[in-house]
Amino acid sequence: MPNEYPARRRSGWWLRNPRYFMFQMREIGGVVSALYGLVLLNLLMQLSAGESAYNSFLTTLRTPPVLYLNLVFFGFVVWHAITWFMLIGKAQPIRLTREPLPWKIVFGINLILWFVVSGAVVYLIFGGM
Amino acid sequence: MAEREIVFRVTRYRPTAGGRPTFQDYRIPVRDDMVVLDGLNYIKDHVDPSLTFRWSCRMGICGSCGANVDGRPRLTCGTYIRDLGKRIVKVEPLSNFPILKDLVVDFDDFLNKLASVKPHIIRKDWGDWTKEYTQYPEDLEAYRQQSLCINCMLCYAACPVVGASPEFVGPAASALALRYIRDTRDEGAAERLARLNTKTGVWECTFVGECSVVCPKDVDPAGAIQTLKFLATQRHMRRLLMPGAR
Amino acid sequence: MFWSLFSAGGFVTAFLFPITLFLLFFAAPFGLWPSDPAAFAAFAARWAGPLVRLFFFVLIGGSLFHGTHRLRYLLIDAGIRGPALEALLDLILNGIAVVGTLAALYVVVRGWFF
Repeated sequence: MPNEYPARRRSGWWLRNPRYFMFQMREIGGVVSALYGLVLLNLLMQLSAGESAYNSFLTTLRTPPVLYLNLVFFGFVVWHAITWFMLIGKAQPIRLTREPLPWKIVFGINLILWFVVSGAVVYLIFGGM
Repeated sequence: MAEREIVFRVTRYRPTAGGRPTFQDYRIPVRDDMVVLDGLNYIKDHVDPSLTFRWSCRMGICGSCGANVDGRPRLTCGTYIRDLGKRIVKVEPLSNFPILKDLVVDFDDFLNKLASVKPHIIRKDWGDWTKEYTQYPEDLEAYRQQSLCINCMLCYAACPVVGASPEFVGPAASALALRYIRDTRDEGAAERLARLNTKTGVWECTFVGECSVVCPKDVDPAGAIQTLKFLATQRHMRRLLMPGAR
Repeated sequence: MFWSLFSAGGFVTAFLFPITLFLLFFAAPFGLWPSDPAAFAAFAARWAGPLVRLFFFVLIGGSLFHGTHRLRYLLIDAGIRGPALEALLDLILNGIAVVGTLAALYVVVRGWFF
C-alpha cells in the first residue's frame, strides 16, 4: 500500500528508555571484557619476555590516565557481571528444579556464588593476601 | 467521582494526505476509573470522530488495542490514566510497524512471521480421529505460559532488534513456536526449528528483554527465545557427535 | 557453536573477571591490598602452577569469544548489515577470538614442553 507511513527506528533508541540504556551498557561491557582479554594476553607475553619488559608494561597500565580509564572500564565489567547474573535467572535454559525459580532468587544465589568464587580466586590463583 | 481535565496528545496520520505523522492535542475530562482506551473513545464520541484506532474487548484478551502510551507499548484498555500521573498523555501507534492511519498499524508482516513457525499441532500421522490424545496437567503446564499469548504485538513494538531488522522472526512468534514444540501431542519441532535456527530466527535476538517487560500476559518471550537457542544448540551438538541422529 | 562459547565466556567473564582485574590493576596503585599481586616476582612464581595457567587461558579465551560475539551484534545494530558485510564481520571477529585463544594457549603451554 503506497500510503502507509513506513516503520523506522529512531537513531537514539537506546537513550529513550532506561532499560534499553542498561542493555547497551551491558553489551559494551561484554566488548570491554574482550579488550581486557587482550590486555591479559599481552601481560602474560611480557611476563615470559622478562622482568624489565613486564615491569614497563605494568607501569604503563598504572600511569594516571590509563589507570582512570581502567577504572571506568572496570565499572563496565562489573556491570556486565551483574547483568549476566540477572540474565541467567531470566533465561534458565537448563532447569535444575521442577518449577522454574524466580529470577531474583537465581540472581541472589549467583551473587553469593560470585563472592565465593572471587574468594577462591584470591587464594588459589593469587596466593591469598 | 471527581473529574479532571487532561490533554491527550495523539498521533494523526492521514494516508490520503501523506506526509509525516503529526500530533494533535485533545483536552478531555477524565475520571479515576478511566483507562486510556476510554479517553480515546471519549475523543471519538464527543470531540473528533475522525480519530482512528483499533479496539474490541475492553478486557485485555483480544489484543487489538495496543499503542505506545508515554513511549511504552501498552494495552490501552489496561492502562489507567490516573496511574500514568501525567497532565499530558502521549498516545502513539505501536513502533516498528508501518502506520495505516492514526493509531492503526499494518501487521501483515507479523502474521506472516507467525505462520512461518506453524502455530498449530503437527503430527506425522493423525491416525484414528476418534482417539483421544491424553494430556495430563503437567503436560499442559509445560506450555501454558506461552499459550497465553494474545498476539497484541506489544513485544514487537518493544524490540529494538525488530526495529533494526524487519526480517527478524520476533518475540511472539518464537514464544508460540516453543508453545507447540513443548506440546506432548506435537511432532513438528524439527520443522519449526528449521525456521528458527537461522540468521533471521532466534539468533538475531540479543536478549534486550524488553519484550518480556511489556508483555501484558507474562508470556516471557525473551526466556522462550533463550530456550529455543539452547534447543537448537543441543540439536546441533547431537548431530555433530552422532551423525545421522535427528 | 559460537553461541555455546559465547555463553561459556559469559560465565567466565562474569565470575572471574572483576576480581582478577581488581587484583592486577587496582589493588596496588590504590593501596587497597597489603601486597602487590601483580609484582613481577610474585606473579612469575605463581605462574609455575598449572591451575594458574589454566585460569588465565580460560579467562582470555572466554572473554574473547564472549566479547567478539557482543561486538558483532553491536555493529550489526549500528547499521553494518547485509550478507557480505556480516560474513566479513564473522570472519574478522571470530578470527580475533580464535587467534587470541590460540595465542593464549601458546603462552600457557610454553615453558612446559618447550
